[in-house]
Amino acid sequence: MRFVLEFDNVTKEYRSFASKRRLRALDSFSLAVEAGEIFGFLGPNGAGKSTAIHLAMGFMQPTSGNGRLLGEPFGHPGARRRVGFLAESVALYHRRAERLVRFYGALNGMGGAKLDQRAREVLEIVGLQDHANRNAGKFSRGMLQRVGLAQAMVNDPELLILDEPTSALDPLARVMVRELLLGARNDGKTIFLSSHLLSEVELVCDRVAMLHRGKLARLGRTADLLQAGEQTQIVARAITLSQFEGAASRDGVVSFSVPTHSQRAALEKVWNLGGEVISVNPVRRTLEEIFLEVTSEPQPPLSKGAQ
Amino acid sequence: MKPVLLIAVNFAREQRWPILTLLLWVLLLAFLGLITDIHRDREDLLFVFKQDAVYVLAFSVFFGGSAIYNERRSRRILGVLSKAVGRQQYLSGLVLGVTIACAVYCFALGMTGSWTLGGAGFSIAHVWFLMISLLAACALAGTVALMFSTFLNPFFAAGATAIVLGFPALAGHILGRQWGYVIPVWELGATVINSSFDSPRAGSWFLVVLAGAETVIFWLLSARIFAYVDIAVAVE
Repeated sequence: MRFVLEFDNVTKEYRSFASKRRLRALDSFSLAVEAGEIFGFLGPNGAGKSTAIHLAMGFMQPTSGNGRLLGEPFGHPGARRRVGFLAESVALYHRRAERLVRFYGALNGMGGAKLDQRAREVLEIVGLQDHANRNAGKFSRGMLQRVGLAQAMVNDPELLILDEPTSALDPLARVMVRELLLGARNDGKTIFLSSHLLSEVELVCDRVAMLHRGKLARLGRTADLLQAGEQTQIVARAITLSQFEGAASRDGVVSFSVPTHSQRAALEKVWNLGGEVISVNPVRRTLEEIFLEVTSEPQPPLSKGAQ
Repeated sequence: MKPVLLIAVNFAREQRWPILTLLLWVLLLAFLGLITDIHRDREDLLFVFKQDAVYVLAFSVFFGGSAIYNERRSRRILGVLSKAVGRQQYLSGLVLGVTIACAVYCFALGMTGSWTLGGAGFSIAHVWFLMISLLAACALAGTVALMFSTFLNPFFAAGATAIVLGFPALAGHILGRQWGYVIPVWELGATVINSSFDSPRAGSWFLVVLAGAETVIFWLLSARIFAYVDIAVAVE
């Protein structure tokens, strides 16, 4: 198994020069992203997601610990040549879209007719082929995000690191990005996706990590996380509410949920009480529920001196 | 080398409006100079020429001191440094960009100086020597400002640059001229300010070379500092 992005016990503290206070944005954070997967990176605002991404890109130095990007230490320019990065709140120079994409491609060592062709290709992929000669300074936020995606893909990267790539996009464009990500994975590329759009993440991500107050709170395959703690909903009649915890009744029909592993016992109890089972359905959790669960969990106090 | 050139040209392009304004100012003054009696008002022409020359030194500090801050504040720096661009290459691009911006101004001033002062009897070769001296001073001043801007905001970076550039000038004034050579921005500026129709050959290539060497030293120092600076945090 090949890892394209690894964090090894990384801690990052921001220090305030004036007040001498410290804010620990990442706390002993370890994570490994496998090649060829779409990896969802989730967490509430201020959880440390962007800090982790910026450390991986070499925009900042870890306070302790280290990590590797495509086998090279964080910040290695050679590794970044094989990476496509889209920052949250895209900021681009005010020039024509095609020239802009060519500029970023040229910074990665590309050039000539190959770069011209690739710039046109990626603008077409993000649906901006008709705006290639327009100044990006006059683009809407959604269009800027698309140009941002185009510049991230211009070098045909092995790893795409996307920080909120669909936050300013309309539903149609979101579908386009989703298809783009799935297509990239099918081509063997890895995508590291930070997003607040949990439904999108649930649809495309193979694995998910949830960060809360700088610590890794959940990590696993999306399917496994959604199944963990799975519940089964049983609907029956000819039983009374008080016989089952958390049951609700409507028109004489009682419904209640039990953990899947104890559904057999619950069904037998219904039958033993003379009830009639109408339906038994698995209740699937959503990432949103897990997200809310994670963010409501109490956190241990931060280390001495840290705020 | 390609990323350095791209960043430099991009920087100069981003500064196109201030540069254009400066160029128009120089051209306007040159035009006014040409419509006067060049021979009668030649001292006035030289005074205006010197005045314009000194402006660019201030602008080099402005360009150098605000370059990183502006890129960080706009977050455009992330797009550039997410590519295969090292921090040292990025700074090299900015140093070159500041130098290009100043070179455009110096070239325009040299051209207009050649028309006006040349017409009044000033050596045209010396006009260009003065412009090269000025450009060397700008490159050094801009690089010092850039170095301070890697860890200070532009206001404090400009202040720190003024102190670093002014201290040798002050020492040179009090202790002896050789102290002014420590960081020769003032000495190079003085070459322009002290030039006259009576002594057109004053000036030293040694100072130009020294400024070039010190530019490289300050550039290396800035790269060393910038390598450890977190760039992806709020600027203020």
